[in-house]
Amino acid sequence: MAGTAAAVLVAAGALTYAAAGDGSGDTVPDAGSADAGFARDMAVHHQQAVEMAYTVRDRTDDEDVRRLAYDIAQTQANQRGMLLGWLDLWELPKVSADPPMTWMGMGDAPSAGEGSLMPGMATNAEMKKLGTLNGEQAEVFFLQLMTAHHKGGIHMAEGCLDKCAAGVEKRLARTMVNGQQAEIDLMADMLRERGAKPRP
Amino acid sequence: MGSAKNRNSAERKARIEEMRRAERARERRGRVITISVSAVIVAALVVGGVVLVRSQGSDDEAAKPDKTSGKFVAGDDGVNTWKGKLASTHVETSVKYPMEPPVGGNHHRAWMNCNGDVYTKELRRENAVHSLEHGAVWVTYTSKASKSDVDALAAKVKQTPYTLMSPDEKQKDPIMLSAWGHQRTVKSADDPDVGKFFETYVQGKQTPEPGAACTGGLPE
Repeated sequence: MAGTAAAVLVAAGALTYAAAGDGSGDTVPDAGSADAGFARDMAVHHQQAVEMAYTVRDRTDDEDVRRLAYDIAQTQANQRGMLLGWLDLWELPKVSADPPMTWMGMGDAPSAGEGSLMPGMATNAEMKKLGTLNGEQAEVFFLQLMTAHHKGGIHMAEGCLDKCAAGVEKRLARTMVNGQQAEIDLMADMLRERGAKPRP
Repeated sequence: MGSAKNRNSAERKARIEEMRRAERARERRGRVITISVSAVIVAALVVGGVVLVRSQGSDDEAAKPDKTSGKFVAGDDGVNTWKGKLASTHVETSVKYPMEPPVGGNHHRAWMNCNGDVYTKELRRENAVHSLEHGAVWVTYTSKASKSDVDALAAKVKQTPYTLMSPDEKQKDPIMLSAWGHQRTVKSADDPDVGKFFETYVQGKQTPEPGAACTGGLPE
């Protein structure tokens, strides 16, 4: 019974994969593939953005920032679900013994500090600080952290565009590149409106 | 002698008078030139100032060209698909869209709620386009659409998350359906193409921002 269910799951995964287009074969990606690596790492990367967005919504009444944060939290939480769902369909683990970004050849990239597991991610200290600021100070710090976060995210999504095989995953990666770039531009406007700039 | 003197004196007077006239004419010309030049300088300053203020006022808006270009290509299934580029920069200014209702292009930073929301007033296009970016299908109608069709479509929209509906008197057909990059006309609310369009495009593959919300935007 369990065997049948597993077979159905694998078949469903294979079908999803085959339907994805670009990928020529009907094989499921393995744990060391770029497809699996991107799904794992971007799910983690997105989770911090969701957390950052929730945090700033509690620290300011500004309508524009709260709406942007709502947008990012909703979008990235849903995209996380897609990434994790593919790992489920492929019956692959959510973690790896290898460091993050290994699939991009960046497993040995230096960290910005504790909690910053991948490029663009904030450190634990920065996340904690965001939770203590209020009003415009919180808005500016959030916009700066999220701008850096999106830059790291775009870089990773470009890695998937370069290396992933599953068409459905590449399509999502492409929307991340375009969508997050548009948000970086919007956040630059919002920082300027507050007399601030993205961090170098 | 005396007469010669007088004549000389008269000539001198005439010469002096002539010189004064020339002097006055020079002064007049000078004044005209001074006034003209001043006027030109003042005008240039005013225009320059206005241009400067405007360019500062719109700030980077001026540096945000609308890169939307292309045209609709009609498909065998009755769906028009935009071939070319649809820009997607967030702008505060109003946008001139090359199609009605718009199926993409630069838009406002706030989206219209599109969680089965039915609006009875025309929407600001810049907000509705942002909803399409989030994967929504937008139902629009003119006063030529029958009340029964409008009611039936409103009922369908209300039970379909990621759709929204509003009147649009400027569109060419009574009932139109739009998604990011795609648009079609339907004859009536019970036209089977309504359901097909919803199935294909509600959070469909065309969605530029998969997973983005239809809640948390503008309620009206």
